[in-house]
Amino acid sequence: MTDIAPRATRVVESTGGRRRHRGGGPRARTIAAFLTPFFLPFVLFYLVPVGYALWQSFLVVRRTGGQYGTSYTTFGGFEQYTKVFQNDEFWSSIGRIGLFGVVQVPVMLFVALIMALLLDTPLLKVKSFFRITAFMPYAVPGVIAAIMWSYLYSPQISPLVDGLKGVGLHPDFLGPGAVLWSAANVSTWLWTGYNMLIMFSALQSIPQELYEAAKLDGASNWKIAWQIKVPIIAPSIILTTVFSIIGTLQLYAEPAVLRQISSNISSTYTPNMLAYAVASGNNYQQAAAISVVIAVITFVLSFGFMRLTSKKAGL
Amino acid sequence: MSNTVTRIRLAAVAAAAGVVVLAGCSSPAPSSDASAASCEPAKGKVTLQYWNTVPGMDKVVALWNKKNPDIQVQMKNISNDQYGTIGNALKAGKAPELAQVGYDELPFLRTQNAFVDASACSAATAAKSAFVPWTWSQASFGGTGVFAFPQDTGPMALYVRSDIFKKHGLDIPKTWDDYAADAQKLHKADPGLSITFFDPNNAEAFNGLLWQNSAQMYQYSGDKWHVSVASDQSKQVADYWQKLIDAKLVRTDLAHGSTQMYTAYQKDQIASYVGAAWGYSMFRDNLPDQAGKWSIVPMPTWGSNPASGDWGGSTVAFMKGNKHLYESVKFNSWLNTDPEALALENKLGGLYPAATAGSKLPALSQGVPYYNNEKIFDVFADSSKNIDTDFSWGPTQKTVNLSLQDAMAKATAGKGTLDDALSAAQATALKSMKDQAIPATAGK
Repeated sequence: MTDIAPRATRVVESTGGRRRHRGGGPRARTIAAFLTPFFLPFVLFYLVPVGYALWQSFLVVRRTGGQYGTSYTTFGGFEQYTKVFQNDEFWSSIGRIGLFGVVQVPVMLFVALIMALLLDTPLLKVKSFFRITAFMPYAVPGVIAAIMWSYLYSPQISPLVDGLKGVGLHPDFLGPGAVLWSAANVSTWLWTGYNMLIMFSALQSIPQELYEAAKLDGASNWKIAWQIKVPIIAPSIILTTVFSIIGTLQLYAEPAVLRQISSNISSTYTPNMLAYAVASGNNYQQAAAISVVIAVITFVLSFGFMRLTSKKAGL
Repeated sequence: MSNTVTRIRLAAVAAAAGVVVLAGCSSPAPSSDASAASCEPAKGKVTLQYWNTVPGMDKVVALWNKKNPDIQVQMKNISNDQYGTIGNALKAGKAPELAQVGYDELPFLRTQNAFVDASACSAATAAKSAFVPWTWSQASFGGTGVFAFPQDTGPMALYVRSDIFKKHGLDIPKTWDDYAADAQKLHKADPGLSITFFDPNNAEAFNGLLWQNSAQMYQYSGDKWHVSVASDQSKQVADYWQKLIDAKLVRTDLAHGSTQMYTAYQKDQIASYVGAAWGYSMFRDNLPDQAGKWSIVPMPTWGSNPASGDWGGSTVAFMKGNKHLYESVKFNSWLNTDPEALALENKLGGLYPAATAGSKLPALSQGVPYYNNEKIFDVFADSSKNIDTDFSWGPTQKTVNLSLQDAMAKATAGKGTLDDALSAAQATALKSMKDQAIPATAGK
């Protein structure tokens, strides 16, 4: 069973056949012309800001004397980084995000997988309707989603809280223990459909003959789902996990919006919120250093996960 | 494919390396602050950029533009992220000629060399007598420079739901002790009713309460800032509110200005509001059903002497790079002293003018229909006279406020006290000044 996945990827590779056309002057120019629209914005809006952030992170502010003085920046080596590593708030925001990710990512991807598998069964009718409905939250901008949910969480105005009170429940969605999971719920609501669609697309590309063969061997729908479909789409599951790890570390909109109505979210709740708070205090250099550290942690975690899983899955 | 990826990685590393090398070469280049600006009128037509956050200000600017074809003003509303927008513009060297800056953020922006000194214009120095003294003193940092013109202030007062007070037989509180007693009575009569709310996410409101008690949080002497955020005066205020919070006499679950807050007032769950002058239009516009139920009285005091605090209010600052100082001073004076402009700003934006003549405006000496035709601006005018003029803000106020808010939130969640919040803010004040290379020390 396990060697099915590699074969599937090999099929994709062999259809390319671009190798034959390598080299040649006019062709290279054509390729360059097609690639420029990608590389120009990539350099301008990706490499340059990354470089700028790196540069800023090595600077420190100095000041000439007087009550207000005049400030200037100068090279400070790793001074900003030392401050980041000594900042308790930074580490507690990382810890919070870690807890968030360890719970939210598996829950979201498991739900997405179940939904994708359900969509893929012949049992389910009106597929396109369900596919669109499940995907719909992704079309809602994150901030809007957070605002919408913040109304549903708010004890003073929420129909949801009122309804739960009606059946004798008194939830406190914004309480100190619950607010992290309320934010997690918003993320899950936003992204499950998106992840489902990636997994569903992978499921769609599995040749039907495999299922026929499995059925002939007497496999139930359940067995087909867990022993054929899931292993084959493992690369997509890994991909969505990596996206989710990156997304988790970038978490900003949901807690920042919920912060407006809950005093249980501090201005340094997530690493990105901390970076923003520091930057808004005119400490751009420290904010840059925080951002670089977040980026490195994201890189290590996502690539680490990819290496780990791809080795295990034999991909 | 993999070749391309490698090349990109190499490029990124090269770029990063280049950047680091560049950084190594960057030498200190202090730009001179408030260089002798000239005040020559421009030859032709001038267009000024003016950024602000006041509702309805577009109409005020339109009025100016109609009257002054040669000095046109382009307005941009930056309510969304006021200081972020200004900070980024400064960093990019693209600040507008004029921008709205709150009193509490003036020193913060001053340390970023954000302003130009307009004292080269005689009209600018002459404007001093037109403004309430403490506002001028904060906008000029107590010196002879003119970095901003005061626009509005937030003298504080107590907003009272007269009908609820009457129903429960409460007296209008004269002191904070009276107020606590009223809170207790109210809570006894109806546990669903609170005297007010304490928003842990609003350092500005809390700072106003500290200001009322003459808490001198920052002083500059002997080449150093002296930070005493956690002074005895501050602690008195913190302990008072902590007691109300502990006894559950005030709500702590409402963010100021949120739908939730208005809903609580709408549902008659809260009997008063400790607020500033600009709040008058807030209740008028958001709770039209409660017209006639509200009264505005002086803020309760700590002793027998009248004392008040200021919450909010702002200035219109002359920003770095201003090339049309003469015209900017002209527009700024009109905007903040002209009776017609002030009346319009009060009506549309709820601003309480910082100009001394402001309280004598016909619009501000009449009764306000929403408040039972009471002359509410008389209360604010009195309050304005009782504001401690020595109070000054710190140069990293924004960061201090965030830290204060985070710690106040912990206190309302039962993990600490407002006293701890003051200590946290004190530590943050010192640390943030150190980060900005501003010499600071604890205490007086």
